[in-house]
Amino acid sequence: MNTGIDVVLVVILLSVLLSLASSRMMALVKIMALQGAMVSIAPLLLDEHSPLSNEGILFFQLMFLIKAALIPGLLYLAVTKVAIKREVEPIVGYHASLVVGLGLILLSAYITHHLGISLTGDAALLLIAAITTLGGGLFLMMSRTKAITQVIGYLMLENGIYLVGTALTGQSHSIYLVEFGVLLDLLVGVMIMGIILHNINRTFDDVDTAYLGQLKD
Amino acid sequence: MESVLSFGLALVLAPLFPGIILKVKALFAGKQGPPLLIKYWTLAKLLRKGSVYSTSTSFVFRLGPLVACATAIAALLFFPFAGKAPLVSFHGDVIVLFYLLGLGRFFTIAAALDTGSPFEGMGAAREAFFGTLAEAAIFAVLILFFRLNGSLILAGYFTGNQPIAIAGPQGALLILAVVALFMLLLAENSRVPVDDPATHLELTMIHEVMILDHSGPDLALIELGAFYKLFLYAALIASLLKPAGLAGPFAGTLAFYALMAVVYVAIGITESLTARLKMNMVPKYILTSFALVFFAIILTVEIA
Amino acid sequence: MLEAIFFLPLLTGLLTLCLPVRSGRVVLMAVALLHLGLTGFCWLHAPAPHLPTYFGNGPAGVLVLLVISFIFVCIAPYSIFYMREQEMRSEPIFLGCMQLFLGTMSMAALADHPIVLWIAIEATTLASAPLIFINRSKKALEATWKYVLICSVGIALALLGFFFITLALDRAGIDVPLTFSALNEAARQLDPLWLRTGFIFVLIGFGTKMGLAPMHTWLPDAHSEAPSPASALLSGALLNCAFLGIYKVHCLMVLAGLGEFSGSLLIGFGLLSIAVAGIFILNQPDYKRMLAYSSIENMGVIALGIGVGGLGLYGAMLHLIHHSLLKSSLFLSAGNLVLGFGTKLVAQCGGMARLLPRTCLGFFAGFLGISGLPPFGIFVSELMILTGAIQTGHPIAAGLFIAALVLVVAGFARIATDMAFGPVREEVLVPEQTVRIVPPLALLATSVLLCVWMPEPLYETITSTIAMIGGTLHG
Repeated sequence: MNTGIDVVLVVILLSVLLSLASSRMMALVKIMALQGAMVSIAPLLLDEHSPLSNEGILFFQLMFLIKAALIPGLLYLAVTKVAIKREVEPIVGYHASLVVGLGLILLSAYITHHLGISLTGDAALLLIAAITTLGGGLFLMMSRTKAITQVIGYLMLENGIYLVGTALTGQSHSIYLVEFGVLLDLLVGVMIMGIILHNINRTFDDVDTAYLGQLKD
Repeated sequence: MESVLSFGLALVLAPLFPGIILKVKALFAGKQGPPLLIKYWTLAKLLRKGSVYSTSTSFVFRLGPLVACATAIAALLFFPFAGKAPLVSFHGDVIVLFYLLGLGRFFTIAAALDTGSPFEGMGAAREAFFGTLAEAAIFAVLILFFRLNGSLILAGYFTGNQPIAIAGPQGALLILAVVALFMLLLAENSRVPVDDPATHLELTMIHEVMILDHSGPDLALIELGAFYKLFLYAALIASLLKPAGLAGPFAGTLAFYALMAVVYVAIGITESLTARLKMNMVPKYILTSFALVFFAIILTVEIA
Repeated sequence: MLEAIFFLPLLTGLLTLCLPVRSGRVVLMAVALLHLGLTGFCWLHAPAPHLPTYFGNGPAGVLVLLVISFIFVCIAPYSIFYMREQEMRSEPIFLGCMQLFLGTMSMAALADHPIVLWIAIEATTLASAPLIFINRSKKALEATWKYVLICSVGIALALLGFFFITLALDRAGIDVPLTFSALNEAARQLDPLWLRTGFIFVLIGFGTKMGLAPMHTWLPDAHSEAPSPASALLSGALLNCAFLGIYKVHCLMVLAGLGEFSGSLLIGFGLLSIAVAGIFILNQPDYKRMLAYSSIENMGVIALGIGVGGLGLYGAMLHLIHHSLLKSSLFLSAGNLVLGFGTKLVAQCGGMARLLPRTCLGFFAGFLGISGLPPFGIFVSELMILTGAIQTGHPIAAGLFIAALVLVVAGFARIATDMAFGPVREEVLVPEQTVRIVPPLALLATSVLLCVWMPEPLYETITSTIAMIGGTLHG
């Protein structure tokens, strides 16, 4: 068993759980930075990727910069400059969120078991971590009121997809495919920028999706 | 003989380490801080004084400090310090160990209630509530260890051919366990995110408010019991962190106490950098540690 | 050469962002015409793509491309005059984003590589979000936020679906380029488990963008809050692009022998969309939202048609064309109505026939068309889908389809009567203008024309689109 990748994956799981439990925006942003860093180095530690081409190294550096520095940096800006309240303001309470987190990991272990496929090497834990991150992101999006928390949830979802990509498409098309995951980051960046720019315009007081409830049938 | 020596060493050294925490906190605040041996002086000072008992208290009040200290010492008996065989060890001793600590807690609470002071009752209620929650997390840790090792003997976890350690084959999972144990350590020993040992307002206290009425040797016993309890938890973490290969009697012990110092420094740093949680956030905090261990348990199923 | 079709609007779109409004309008109009010209060239000469691994001119793609291009030509002049009435602060952004939107949609239509298709559809979200937010009102913000967030999640899931399809290719151990054409040829050898998983994720992902219930929640908000020309483009063109993504994967499934599985999923989502839309239309006080729900319904009809196969496939393709024509016409008429009455509520639009007679004509003709009455094309296509459903042995689906259509027609009828007999208003804010009347009427006329006379190349393209998965005109 490759210990390096295990450590990274366990830290990713840890970050998912802590993000579900954290009640401060700043803590959440820091956790996402940690998660981004871990997710971006995970593929490097997988055995099958070990001989890296120059472009590959460049790509992973870029990925690391985006996931671990750029996007958390933007989030940090959004939280500090835009005077977003520091509390996370959940719809689903923290205890329930944690229980959901536990359910998620059970579910992803179950799914991984019952896929009935022999994945190469460490992929079992990788897939669990990936599905848990994905589900955790979705849950975070649904259960928090702030626009910025929803972006963070989306970011987590996207990290999960990136991990699934690395877990599953380990062979010929892998690097090639997963690179496009960067584009999802672009979308995240755009959303955060939207929030920042939007608040600088001072059109509205607070970016709380609870206020975004006028359009419905 | 080795076991007796290591136990004795632990008993002697336990009050040293809280001094490290104070020192770290002082350094963070830009102060010089008290000397490292401050806790020994405190104990000596308290033991020299006499005790004052309220007329409304009964024998329960006097029993509390004694039992608290005795159970903490008894718990240490089971612990294999630095991989040495412990003094007492039998099948299922881990469960006895944590219930011994529970017994100590019970008597502390009973003593606090015995005073009839509303503040102490409040502290006792909090202590009982958070303790109950933490118990679930502790037993989750035990389940994890059992899954990894198949043993119900505390000594079996950290000695023998396959000790549970970060450096071992399933070390990655233990990261979760170490984080959880550290969180539990802070919660169980009234450290900062849960309780503040340095606070001065009764309303915000948990553990400190329960012992307001104790004085002199009684207070010294309670303090000593608290040191031993903290020492036990820190020793658990240090044993998990211990690198393999340091088997020599001297090097092993030295490495163990160095790791202990690291854990205490970590506590000091945590206390300096974090603020206390709101009282209603504490259950969430403890539940988080439980969830971490739970993750690890599920993952053992997966990896094994 | 083929790539010029989407590069042109992308470049000019970026250019327009920095141009003054007047020249921006000229550029928009010129690009619309040029785009139609290029599309026509593409139909007549079928130029080879420069990057054959990423792009291709398959029949389904060029069909959607033609629809997009034609609708855009009608919408472009309308939007120029619509925007003049609005005194928009950020009109260059609107004009530029319209072109960027056109470019990304054309790219989606021409993509042959799954990931390129995915990128293009993601890019449509980014290009169209400013169009929805252009009014900068609180409601527009809400609609945009929902649109971006829900569609992003959907698109992320679609990427996951494409990962699974790639995995199906990897596990089969065959080395072919990752394009739809190559995948189609190797379809039989792909791993069926992962192909199915992939299809589910792609269906949910692009289904979100296409507006299939229950992932449709962003659609009514975005369509009702966007300015009308943008709504027309969203409804008439964007939904088709998302549909194209699902259709391509469905073709792959059929060729891999899993058509039964993907077909029944499509039927299920299709029927659910029709039913949900029918229920919401029935008591809808806002006519733009009503039109948006009608888009959901029609997307459901298309999914149903594709799902049942056979004659239904032809019907679905026909439905796609006619729905785009009629719905964009309706949104343009609705835009005139919004300008004239300053409200989106049905109850405050009384006296339309007297105050805005030509808009009224277009609006009600569109209503008739979208409800599936002759002489408009939707009558034909819905009839074909119904026949197809019965022929291929889906009588229950056919029954539910009819029931849901009845709901929709009832809703339309109620709204039409409310608008005709509501309390009469005295004056209008902005009077009718011929330039804003002709485009919706032209779109309607095209639908009628296509009903009586189908040009030969169009007919051939539709048949070759559906021939791949066994659809014919003769059941």
